[in-house]
Amino acid sequence: MDVVVLGGGVNGTGVARDASMRGLKVALFERNDLAFGASGNSSGMIHGGPRYLVYDPAVTATSCRDSGNIQAIAPHLLFRIPFLMPVADRGPKMRIFFDLLDGFFEAYDQYQPLKRGKPHARLSQAEVRELEPGLTGDLVGAMSFDEWGIDGARLCVANAVDARERGASVRVGCTVTAIDRRPDGAVEAVRFRDRVTGEVGRLTTKVVVNATGAWAPLTASLGGLAPERARVRPGKGIHVLFDRRLTNYAISAFAIDGRQMFLLPWENLTVLGTTDDDYYGDLDHVRATSEEVRYLVESIARVFPSIHGARAIGTFAGVRPTLYAYGPIEEALSREHEIIDHAEHGAPGLYSMVGGKLASYRLFAESMTDELARVFRLPGRCATHTTALPGGDEAADPFAMATRLGVDAVATRRLVYRHGSRSARVEDRMLARPREGVTVCACEPVLEAEVRYVLANELARSVEDVARRTRLGLGACGGMRCAARCGQIVAEELGLPPREGVAQAIRFVTKQARTRVPALGPDQARQEAIAMASARAELGIAATADEDDEEPP
Amino acid sequence: MSRSIVIVGAGLAGLAAAFSARRAGRSVTVVSAGAGATALAPGAVDDVPWERAASAARVARVPLVRRPLAVDVAAFADALGLWSIGDDGADVARIATVAGVIRPARAHDRALLDLSTIRGVVIVPRAPRAAWDADALAATWGASPFARAQGLRFHAAEAALLRHKGERGIGELDLAARHDEGDRLDWLAARLREALVREAPRGVDAAAVLLGPWLGLAAPRAEALSARLGLSVGEALGGVGSAAGLRFEAARDRLLASLGVDVVVGRATRLEVEGARVALTVHGKSDLVVGDACVIACGGVAGGGIVYAGAGAPDRARAAFALSLDAPVDLAIGGVRVDVTSSLNGPDLDETAWPTPGAEGALERVGVRCDGARAAPGICAAGAAVADRPRTALEAVAAGLRAGREA
Repeated sequence: MDVVVLGGGVNGTGVARDASMRGLKVALFERNDLAFGASGNSSGMIHGGPRYLVYDPAVTATSCRDSGNIQAIAPHLLFRIPFLMPVADRGPKMRIFFDLLDGFFEAYDQYQPLKRGKPHARLSQAEVRELEPGLTGDLVGAMSFDEWGIDGARLCVANAVDARERGASVRVGCTVTAIDRRPDGAVEAVRFRDRVTGEVGRLTTKVVVNATGAWAPLTASLGGLAPERARVRPGKGIHVLFDRRLTNYAISAFAIDGRQMFLLPWENLTVLGTTDDDYYGDLDHVRATSEEVRYLVESIARVFPSIHGARAIGTFAGVRPTLYAYGPIEEALSREHEIIDHAEHGAPGLYSMVGGKLASYRLFAESMTDELARVFRLPGRCATHTTALPGGDEAADPFAMATRLGVDAVATRRLVYRHGSRSARVEDRMLARPREGVTVCACEPVLEAEVRYVLANELARSVEDVARRTRLGLGACGGMRCAARCGQIVAEELGLPPREGVAQAIRFVTKQARTRVPALGPDQARQEAIAMASARAELGIAATADEDDEEPP
Repeated sequence: MSRSIVIVGAGLAGLAAAFSARRAGRSVTVVSAGAGATALAPGAVDDVPWERAASAARVARVPLVRRPLAVDVAAFADALGLWSIGDDGADVARIATVAGVIRPARAHDRALLDLSTIRGVVIVPRAPRAAWDADALAATWGASPFARAQGLRFHAAEAALLRHKGERGIGELDLAARHDEGDRLDWLAARLREALVREAPRGVDAAAVLLGPWLGLAAPRAEALSARLGLSVGEALGGVGSAAGLRFEAARDRLLASLGVDVVVGRATRLEVEGARVALTVHGKSDLVVGDACVIACGGVAGGGIVYAGAGAPDRARAAFALSLDAPVDLAIGGVRVDVTSSLNGPDLDETAWPTPGAEGALERVGVRCDGARAAPGICAAGAAVADRPRTALEAVAAGLRAGREA
């Protein structure tokens, strides 16, 4: 191999794609699943972030520019999210603040054309109320501004699939256990272990790119470097999911400690986020806690009190790999990214990508690949901003597809959202085998053909992987209705024993329950108890791993 | 004048309490607000939690047999007329679930197919229903340890189960309701017979037919269908809210009517004990329901009898959980009294709510603190409303019968 990329997040898959496009032989290893970490657990926005304008205007500029590029290569994955930032009327000071804010957004407007955003609007209290009656209290008014939402997991999958189709080898669920170096210190090979099959191997390579996000220091240590050589400041962020679109406008508000936060209509749900706290725990098991959830809920309740009556259906949490700095509060940390060439630490051929954010992933990958191009003396230039990602080449018509297939248009719309023009490949499956047109997950909804498609084509190896790619089981029912069925399909498609499918379903349902529990409000407690009763009746809550030892009765 | 008992809740525990109280010659009024946990349960009837029983049997390497039922529990089951309970000491029933598991059960709704006595080939008809992929289910059930040990094979086969094109889109319960009609059941039997005839030349000698939870709402129709077809036909266990729960409600209403129990439909909001009398307030009704004693059988958290209190409810924020009716009883989680919480937002459930293989979760263990069936003078409690409540249907029945006797 020319390059081994470690990490299946947006930076790793982005580099794998770019390097493959430029003709390098690439292998990517991901320890868990694509988009398992920060990429799949972000706020789901490709935004310039007015939030960063104060601390880091350069980040805002690059983010906005690349947001436009991402729209061009994956138009199907982006959706417009208009924001409202209400300003409470608490005396003349706030009215001055409102004018300042107007000026601030005027500055932000300069960047909007880069991402096809609309300029901000200064709204009076009456106008705000008309747009979003849920906003309460006396308001000076509100600013509107424009951002774009995205499904981060789909973005990673699209990059990984494209890299594969351009010749890269992508291994998911496969952890690198060591980075071997020659006596002169240069990178020689990686050793890996498949965490599902137990298969081990060694792959020689000239370059290793450490794109493991918050795991970066750990990964550096696998190459014999001190973890501080790829230091990040890990910042945990949690989000709470609500069962529907509570509003059609994202609401930006300030938490009790002055941090900016938001309530976001995201796909068919609402996302409330986010926190930013230094994190010292296990990166494979990051979970929201109930007190973090309450901090968010109480903060947004100040401007949007009906949040208390909304039904939370889950939480998700990730750890940002922010650039290291000792001292500043989390919010003020840089969102810039940085490439560390470990040649200066005596390990030529090893690079670490640290920092960055979803919106500027492509640019970050481009910089990294430019460095690779220099090392390998490649003539070609980056083309990732002009070459469509899989499914992004042309538009698909979900309504015509629904008519052709005789399935619900809601299902085909969701399908087209996730797969763009490649939804035609899923459609082909259904035309050949109409049985695959049935709904597996009614909440999202997800059709059987899509489940089989992602298992066959998108490197999914488990129910959880399917959920990440299709959002199966992530809706209101928490997988109670679809996990078992999905487990059967996983077992069938991947040639696993059927029992493994059942075991995966139980693991998924339990994991979903554990992420849901911190968000349990009074009204969900009953729902949760019913879910437990259901799981007990149909699946059994106890682990069934030892059941194969059962003696004949 | 006979002693009069007020029972809150018409799930299994409440019904059992009504049964034993009537048998003891008391007059009984049942107050019910609607569907609770029993009406949502999918039809397996356990005496002990099945996973625990299965794993204990595995460790001890003993077969799972039906443990004897108490005489009064057996009498109750007989009167309800809904369950197949089997003989004491026989192998436990084995029920296939639509989630792909074959699980043991002490007893079960008579529409469910008991696989314990079946040897050979079970036909699984293909049907265009979302949760029913006959091929995948057949493979999953067939690979289960029980099926392998028993030599049981599952064979997916073509069979027309839907009579009209429009039935593709109807719900599972609607489909089940259609089989309450005799001629529709005849039609289904004929289609299944055709399927069996088609499979026979391929060397498939069917011993039973396994269908989804579609065999009747007013009553289990599996036996009538089996009689028409000349071999065992039955349902797999569906999820929460499948037909078995509605069949329970139908059987319950028949039993309550035959027992001569008064039924008040409405939500009980307040229970007061004055001297030797109890008085129950029912929402929207001006008259109190009065009696000599009360049985609280309104369910645990799943049934809506126990309410989780949290943010935004200052009057409730003082304690973590509350009984859904205001009554002079104490709550406990397991053996520990539910006390004033030191959080305005109710307790943190992060680590405690969802059960682990070894232990129940807090939402399952919270309930009325009882000494036996007695919660307070004049008040008994039964079923999931009780702390460290009975885990299973038959335990709820036993507790209900006891509460009805003692009240």
